[in-house]
Amino acid sequence: MSAPTQDAGGRAGEILVEGVTKRFGEVTAVDDISITIPGGEFFSMLGPSGCGKTTTLRMIAGFEAPDAGRIVLQGNDVTHVPPAKRNVNMVFQAYGLFPHMTVGENVAFGPKIKKWSRQDTRERVAEAIRTVRLDGFEDRRPGQLSGGQQQRVALARALVNRPAALLLDEPLGALDLKLRKEMQLELKDLQQRTGTTFVYVTHDQEEAMTMSDRIAVMNGGVVEQLATPRELYQRPASAFVAGFIGTSNLIELRVDRLDAGLLAMEVGQGQRILAIAPGNAGSGHTAVGAGGGPRTGETVTITVRPEWIKLATGEVGDRTCHVGGTVIDVVYLGSVTQLIVVLPTGERLTVHRLNDEVGAEDPRPGQQVMLHWAAEHSYVVGSETGAIEPAGATSS
Amino acid sequence: MAALQESLGIGVDGNGRRARRGPRRPGGVRGAFGILFAPVTLLIVLFLAPFLIMVQMSVVRFPPRTDSGYTLTHYVDVLTNPLNPGIAWTTFTIASTAMIVMLLVALPLAYFMVFKAGKWELFLLLGLVLADELAPVVKVYAWQVILGRNGIVNWLIPGPPVEWLLYSSFAVILTLSTTYITYTTIPIYAAMKAIEPATFEAATDLGAGWWPQARKILIPLAAPGIFVAMILVYIPMLTDFVTSDIVGGTGSYMMGQRVRDLILGEGNWGTGSALNFLLLAMSVLLSLAAYRLARLNRIES
Repeated sequence: MSAPTQDAGGRAGEILVEGVTKRFGEVTAVDDISITIPGGEFFSMLGPSGCGKTTTLRMIAGFEAPDAGRIVLQGNDVTHVPPAKRNVNMVFQAYGLFPHMTVGENVAFGPKIKKWSRQDTRERVAEAIRTVRLDGFEDRRPGQLSGGQQQRVALARALVNRPAALLLDEPLGALDLKLRKEMQLELKDLQQRTGTTFVYVTHDQEEAMTMSDRIAVMNGGVVEQLATPRELYQRPASAFVAGFIGTSNLIELRVDRLDAGLLAMEVGQGQRILAIAPGNAGSGHTAVGAGGGPRTGETVTITVRPEWIKLATGEVGDRTCHVGGTVIDVVYLGSVTQLIVVLPTGERLTVHRLNDEVGAEDPRPGQQVMLHWAAEHSYVVGSETGAIEPAGATSS
Repeated sequence: MAALQESLGIGVDGNGRRARRGPRRPGGVRGAFGILFAPVTLLIVLFLAPFLIMVQMSVVRFPPRTDSGYTLTHYVDVLTNPLNPGIAWTTFTIASTAMIVMLLVALPLAYFMVFKAGKWELFLLLGLVLADELAPVVKVYAWQVILGRNGIVNWLIPGPPVEWLLYSSFAVILTLSTTYITYTTIPIYAAMKAIEPATFEAATDLGAGWWPQARKILIPLAAPGIFVAMILVYIPMLTDFVTSDIVGGTGSYMMGQRVRDLILGEGNWGTGSALNFLLLAMSVLLSLAAYRLARLNRIES
């Protein structure tokens, strides 16, 4: 017990979730999920409440037993191993600090239970407290600390055990926005310094984007997409992901033409909306649905980010979306101005116009504008013939 | 009774007058006085006055004659009577054993109610309260029926009737334990209610089994409730005489009975009052000690 990090044959910190299902009565909280988390990764599970993210985390921790599938930690099947015997530690949203103990006693709780030598315990507790920058607070009680400091105690109390992975269940949920932003950077820094695998559960997409190496976006008990923050933002695999990560426009598009890997919807007067046909995105962000991809006459859902849409009068290339509309709302947001534009088809588009010039004039409501964006920026996220399968759900 | 009615009358009068005066700043000094006036008056009339009379009886030479001069001989009597140490010891062991039995039941019960019972929590709580609502004397007599020579227990177990079930220290301890279980459980329940459930999950996560969790987390955090329970329960048990009268035997003669016998039996007001006062003083000291200990364990915030 005195050497908590055993040799794991190059699999230190690796977590495999294989075909895991969890039901609570009639409700399937987690539905056949498979995730691979390599050692040392900052991995986030992101989704709305009830999406199964916390249940998945609790199954990795051992607080819930899966109804099907297995959990493999550093090469060992731990599906039926109790939490205390797994080499992972959890940080709770409510912290779960021991209010009658000092910070030092809280952090020393794990080592004392594991009966480490007095010397070892003292050194490691001091080290853990230093790691979370709480030096000098050893003799305070949790009640005398701020929320952020309490969360650091919870982190130190978990990290002192040198877990193969640290599981964090919305640990910043109880903090105010400013403190949360500070703690996000601190957590990322802490993860990099310790090299510990972090599995982080949050419903805050910005938080997940800020810290994570990779994110599993979950909804209804399944992983919608598992990818890096950049991929999630730029190449959302489903309408849900597009809507959950950042602001996104979802456009219903009837395919009028299909050529050169582009789907086109003609709006008239030379105006059109283009989108990359699934399977032609280059990076293969979406696999083609069962029907072998959208056909002419079919309706698909595409997404485009507000900041990729330009108000421009320049040359219209072959691969440029080009559509006119009426501005109905203008909101100045500081770094950008948000415009709501109604297309002749009735679709509403949100457009972000970067305010990088002092004195630039924004369009006024009622004004006609031309919108342009590159076809590469529209992605198909759903079609009539079946949902586009997210390619990243089972990661490599 | 006249005094009671009078005090209530004053309380109602005060309330009525305030109401007529219209809206009033809540929490004001006068408001607090108005709210507390009736109960404080009741307390003085029904508790403090008899107490002072008792103190007076314990120091006058020939009670109840208050003009007979003052003396401490009654106290000397109490402290030198060779019977008293034995009775005190019996009282102490019976009350303490019952207290321990109740804590052993109340701690797991309260834990279960707070953390495990789910929708049954309220049901159990109501059950506890209802159990206390029964008239105490009826409950004690019920135990007589259950434990007696021809009682339910002896009817259920084969062989010759077990004699020590009734009219024994065992019967007194059992009866006291059931009488006061509500007052033991509720304060502990309240203290545990304040514990964040994540605390136990965190302890489990850190490798602590049920016993380290109980010893290092549950009991320290429930300590304020445990001390309140002990103050609420231990002191009435020390002075209880009904239970031992009905289900006790010669070996369970307690201090409460001694006081009753001295005053009502022998008409010895002086010694009875002195013994009673000493019991009360001891109770106060015990309460203070418990309060002190509870403060030591109190969570600083």
